[in-house]
Amino acid sequence: MSATLSYNEGTLLLNGLSPKEIDRLFAEGVWKWDARIERFRTDAFRYGQVAEILRGTFGSSLCDMIPKPAELHWPKVCLHKPRRDQAEAIEAWLSSGGRGLVVMPTGSGKTEIALHLMARLGVSTLVVAPVRDLMYQWHLRIREGLGIEAGIIGDRLHKPSAVTVTTYDSAAIHMSSIGDRFGLLIFDEAHHLPGGFYRDAAIMSAALLRLGLTATPERSDGRHVDLDWLIGPEVYRRKLSEAEHLAPFETVRIPVKLTDEERERYDTASLAIRGWYIEKRKEKKDYDKKDLLAEANHDIAARRVKNMMFLKEAIEDRADEKLRVLEDIFRLHPQERVLVFTGSNAMAIDISRRFLAPTILSHTMKKERQAVLSGFAAGEFPVLVANQVLDEGVDVPAAKVAVVVGGQASTRQAKQRLGRILRPDGAARATLYEIVCEDTSEVERSRKRRRSDAYERTRHRKF
Amino acid sequence: MLTSEHAIVNFERDRALPDRLSRKSDAHYVDLAAAMLRVYREGVGLTRRELHRHIERLFDEEPCDARRIASFCKLLDDASTFHTDGGGKAARLRLKVFRLAAKKHPLVTEKQTKTLLGELEQEEAVVKQEIAAELGMSWQEIDEALYADVMQFHRLKTPPDYPDENALLSHYNVAQTQAALYKAQSATLTANKDFKTILRYVKLAGLLHEIRRVDETTYRIQLDGPASLLRTTSRYGVRFATLLPALLTCKDWSFTARIRTPWKTLAILDLSPDSGLKSHLDVPPEFDSIVEENFAGKFGEERDGWRLVREGAILYKHQKTFVPDFVFRHEDGREVFFEIVGFWTPEYLKAKLETLETFSDRKILLAVCENEGALEAFGGWAGRIITYKTGIKLGIVMAALETLSL
Repeated sequence: MSATLSYNEGTLLLNGLSPKEIDRLFAEGVWKWDARIERFRTDAFRYGQVAEILRGTFGSSLCDMIPKPAELHWPKVCLHKPRRDQAEAIEAWLSSGGRGLVVMPTGSGKTEIALHLMARLGVSTLVVAPVRDLMYQWHLRIREGLGIEAGIIGDRLHKPSAVTVTTYDSAAIHMSSIGDRFGLLIFDEAHHLPGGFYRDAAIMSAALLRLGLTATPERSDGRHVDLDWLIGPEVYRRKLSEAEHLAPFETVRIPVKLTDEERERYDTASLAIRGWYIEKRKEKKDYDKKDLLAEANHDIAARRVKNMMFLKEAIEDRADEKLRVLEDIFRLHPQERVLVFTGSNAMAIDISRRFLAPTILSHTMKKERQAVLSGFAAGEFPVLVANQVLDEGVDVPAAKVAVVVGGQASTRQAKQRLGRILRPDGAARATLYEIVCEDTSEVERSRKRRRSDAYERTRHRKF
Repeated sequence: MLTSEHAIVNFERDRALPDRLSRKSDAHYVDLAAAMLRVYREGVGLTRRELHRHIERLFDEEPCDARRIASFCKLLDDASTFHTDGGGKAARLRLKVFRLAAKKHPLVTEKQTKTLLGELEQEEAVVKQEIAAELGMSWQEIDEALYADVMQFHRLKTPPDYPDENALLSHYNVAQTQAALYKAQSATLTANKDFKTILRYVKLAGLLHEIRRVDETTYRIQLDGPASLLRTTSRYGVRFATLLPALLTCKDWSFTARIRTPWKTLAILDLSPDSGLKSHLDVPPEFDSIVEENFAGKFGEERDGWRLVREGAILYKHQKTFVPDFVFRHEDGREVFFEIVGFWTPEYLKAKLETLETFSDRKILLAVCENEGALEAFGGWAGRIITYKTGIKLGIVMAALETLSL
């Protein structure tokens, strides 16, 4: 019997080889005998490697049942000529065999690179993006650049086609059923891929061509080393500081005070929490937040203290004064587009209801998203309010003023957010405002945020 | 179903114990559950957020994990219906309002009348009144409708369909066990009487099985997914969770799942029909058809040394399995499988023939309903086939048994 290679739920099956032949041809552990179906089995991502060995041995008698990726003809390619650095990245990826990672700052046209490669290769492609906004943005860019309506998997849709956009979540869940359909995988913000379950999106696909795009491949858990086999080696890197076209910008930190009423509730909660810790530490010296959270699962008093912590965060997050500061910022920039980032959906909605400005929240549907984004781009809406969903690379054209109202401390987030307002736009100077509560833990988060190398000198300004 | 964020699992030594409310130690939960159902039944028109606040308040004096409260909220929500603004009404209203307001940006609390620029500013309250007048609604109406499509602001349409508080509590226990199973890597199922039904559910859940016969009537089934062979993975956990309610309707089984703990070790989760979990699904009927039932009744327990056992054996070859309707077992050890093929569609017939072909080396007797084309389709089974019209005749079966079992 001749050797037969086929795809099965995110894995490859091999039939027609004796265990001896397997041992002779392959490194140990590549194939495993699956007694449940009497076939050899391995992960789909090894397709390139095992198919090469099998073809070398069996030649044309190898029965390779993995479908050839569909060839595509783009109805209308409409792309700018790549810049020098973009062209370098394209060549670097191609000459490394079509597998690898391109590292470039946010806003320096990584999407363009991917579209150029898609145009050149003309194979069925799956684009994996971190969040739905980005997924829809790829959808739009593919239509504009290549003249094709991409399929969508995610956001409660399941419409795969030869070119499809999806999210990491959906890709990991569905890859076992679509992993033999694509010739090229594009992982946008590829640093997400090695995390836990998401990696199935790469492991369960038989795609030979793999492109990873990111500004910041490094992960604090060290798992970025796995990108090497999940996607490929780093083939091109350009750092933020080398980005010659980025506009100069300044960061302005604005401390706000809680109102008397907020302050009173905040201090009462702080006092109760402190009192609790003092009592508890009499019995257990190193009693900490973890102990409190565990105790709250079976003790009513502990649960109340835990709720006080949430209350404090909520007071900080939605402090009244922040709305007044926002009003002043809007007044300062009446002619400019202002992008507002919040730490929660609740605060985004508060701001929207106060200033009647459109929001993009995690559950905003496609149609409204596009109306809001294009309205903001066209200057129809002067303000756009978003919670963290806009953190990564969503195309908001050339806003020069951004405001961060609360949010999590994270240097990556800070970089991504800055990338948003640093879009090249002539000589215009960009400003990032940061509104934080004074004398609260938010000040500490803001400090952490500023440790990011993307921030320059910070000016403090009291309103 | 709950999500894995709702899962409360205690680990004791190598055991995984999903959160479980017991009739004895948690007797007061009957009242709590009744009160929860009351909140929803009397809360038609309230938002999810308001309903959840009410539920949380019921637990004010109940020392328990916050995830337990969140779980009840989820289960109650899932069993209810809400006004969801499917048509995008709120989104359209938003765009309309925001477009009108954009021309007046920024909306200030108070005009700064001392500066020239300030003179051009628009006051929030004034603009909102203008927009309200233009849209022919009051501002309060607009403000309430503006974000009515946000999940937390959905309003309750019909309350949960739990028949009573006990049903809610049983469902909670099953749902917590399901949530624990999300982290399952593999499982072993020992099945006895109901293995035909169980295998059908296993296949529906998309799990792979490896069957071993333990004794005449008992089979041990190892369950996991395709990639489980290559690496430990919890990606099939959801499939185990979907299997559970179906499994709970069956009899005579035991189930052992290997669950990944937060410390990346493995813990065992044991289940059986005696675990005290009650499925919300109906118990499957014992007989597939009236023809089978009548035949079993006519045959009785024993006849001419032959015993009749309903669904008494699995024939299996890799992932292909076949459980004939009956097994005839003679006291001298002879065995004949008996399959009744009733009314059929071409698709059903094709699948049946394919299955039978896989096991054509076994002693299988077919009873085929006599209608056009039936005998033709089963041409290859000549000598191993009897036909019937309304009921299967005993004499013909007994004769066929003797010739076939030689």
